[in-house]
Amino acid sequence: MIERLGLVTTQLPTTGSSMMTLLVVLLPLLLGMLGGAWRPWRGWPGLVVALLSLLALVWLTQQIATHGTQAWVLDLGTLTLHWRANGLTLLLLLLTQLLVLASAAYAPAYLCDAVQARGRGPAWLWPLMGLLATSLSLIWLAADLLSLYIGLELMGLTAVGLMLLPGREEALAAGMRYLLLALIGSLAFLLGVALLLGGWGRLDLAGLAEAVEPGPLLWVAMALLSAGLLLKAAAFPLHAWLAPVHGSAWTPVSALHAALVIKASFFIALQLWLVLAPRAAMAAWLVGGMGAAAVVWGGLLAWRADKLKDVVAWSTVSQLGYLLIAFPLLIGTSQAVVSIAWGGVWLQLLAHSLAKAAMFLAVGNLMLATGESRVSGLAGASRRFPLSLLSFGIAAISLVGLPPSAGFTAKWLLLHASLAAGQWPWLVVLALGTLLSAAYMFRVFRYSFVEDVELQDYRPVPLRMDLIAMALALASLLLGLTASWPLAILAIAGGVP
Amino acid sequence: MSSLFDVLPATLPVLLAVLVLLDRRLLRACSLFVLFALTVALTWWRLGFIWLALLETLLGAVLTGAFLFHALGISPARGASPARPSHGQDPVPLIWRRTLIHLIPVLALMGMLAAALASLPASDSSPAVRWSGLVLVGLGLWAFALHTHLLRRLLAFNITGTGIFLLLMTLVGETTTAAGQGLVITGLAVALLGTALGALLIRRLDALAPSQQPSPVNGRQVS
Repeated sequence: MIERLGLVTTQLPTTGSSMMTLLVVLLPLLLGMLGGAWRPWRGWPGLVVALLSLLALVWLTQQIATHGTQAWVLDLGTLTLHWRANGLTLLLLLLTQLLVLASAAYAPAYLCDAVQARGRGPAWLWPLMGLLATSLSLIWLAADLLSLYIGLELMGLTAVGLMLLPGREEALAAGMRYLLLALIGSLAFLLGVALLLGGWGRLDLAGLAEAVEPGPLLWVAMALLSAGLLLKAAAFPLHAWLAPVHGSAWTPVSALHAALVIKASFFIALQLWLVLAPRAAMAAWLVGGMGAAAVVWGGLLAWRADKLKDVVAWSTVSQLGYLLIAFPLLIGTSQAVVSIAWGGVWLQLLAHSLAKAAMFLAVGNLMLATGESRVSGLAGASRRFPLSLLSFGIAAISLVGLPPSAGFTAKWLLLHASLAAGQWPWLVVLALGTLLSAAYMFRVFRYSFVEDVELQDYRPVPLRMDLIAMALALASLLLGLTASWPLAILAIAGGVP
Repeated sequence: MSSLFDVLPATLPVLLAVLVLLDRRLLRACSLFVLFALTVALTWWRLGFIWLALLETLLGAVLTGAFLFHALGISPARGASPARPSHGQDPVPLIWRRTLIHLIPVLALMGMLAAALASLPASDSSPAVRWSGLVLVGLGLWAFALHTHLLRRLLAFNITGTGIFLLLMTLVGETTTAAGQGLVITGLAVALLGTALGALLIRRLDALAPSQQPSPVNGRQVS
């Protein structure tokens, strides 16, 4: 399994790819600092520079497609850090850059025209967003527990900071709860790492994969690590903090949080399980059961939710459940099942990230345009804001999992994998989840197609905000048509066994 | 005599932590926390981790202490402020039943941890420090679950974190000291940033929502 994560490699990095990786990691931070100093009211100048890191990433993809997985060993005195870049890392880096870029392009218009935010909040947005991109890149690249811990902490604190920016009382109260939960989660993670370090005396994932042996020490360490990460990922019994946090955050921040921050915790958890406990089928079933409960419970809450943002936030809990179902499909199953489920889970992650970011932006546009935060306030929206509603609809197609979208392809692969593994409960969960997500999405549409309402005062949002939401939604749809492309990237550098 | 000299630096933080977590006056609890961090720095020094001792003094005692006092509305320039409304949420009076109920999950976790630690070779240099680390983790978690006041939760978080750091450094071997120190230094920075963010938040929340009925200062509640 660790070959798929790119942890076994003897490939030495070329100087060019090291430089490019460093550029990809550090450029967002630099741009964020500059943005904080100058506070761009238009997105274009920054975007042009940010395209540099996308180009660097494309170049890096070329390199890795030809040379295979690359690994870095950084010696800092007696301390060694391990990084690696394979196909999966590249896909996640690409996703991060795209979404941060989209949010950064969306933010100036949002802050200036829509929220009319003043004070120090908007100035802090840019450096924090850059820091978030850097810490996420660090998490995708890290191949040892110290790098992962640094990345996780940086990301957690940055995410809390971003959530606090609106400065209103409910944002601060929700942010305080989020801060305390994030801190407790990171303590659990650190305790787990301490036990692993004490037991086997090393922190690099490849070395640990060979050294660890099952026993009470490993189980307690894994329980602590998983608890901390699943708390941060808003997995089912630990999900209650998510909706209040999103409810009061700025729209581009919500989009980044749901699309990337939550996924990073999930990514670390899955990676640690695959490396440290690749045969723990019973425990993986437990996580899968949590995922099943999340799909159903999150769907029900989204269906019952009164506010638009709550619908989207609970839908995140529900969709994350699909990702948790990957645990029993990838752990302790045959090679054939793993090769199907492997593509399914990462495709689901990509599809959900793109669609959820698009949906948050579209919902933000609708809320700004109507001045209403409730679902019932959308009455008459279909005639007045067709573009926002169309973006919402296209994102919904991917979230529900209707045919041409990437969400459909991902769910199809997961379905196929659970059939191949003979784990029929997941079939029921996938079907139920599809029905529930269709139910809560159509509920939003039902309100928006109400025609016989009085004309209230509404103001259309700037066109580029609508266009960015639309572009992300289309990306999630088109990814389904070109699903062979991400799957090929996963395969070339992931090292097919 | 020498055994007393070994055990005392390890038990002193535990005693101080109990006082910090149970003191009903927030100002005194914060002052005791600074003292607690200094004794932990002493423990690092006794264990031979000079850098950690320095960082613990700087980050743990001085800066964290400064932010805690800032959360209370006390700054060196203005001195102790006059009676201010209670900070954050009001503290729930300690009830024995509540206290005991929250003790059960913490004891379960401690049992798990002890079982895991039992399978490891005993620390040859500092068994007392490992035990005090374990007790600090338990105490901090218990207080975190018990208290609802934001500042008390920050204190509890810091004490749990310190317990984990002590535990971690008794677990590392000769070859992995650098990795352990890297983890602890990151953890110290995170704890400081978390406390700073929390303290600033408490102040903002106070400023935004002046409490309706001014309750006695420093978390003392007429129960």
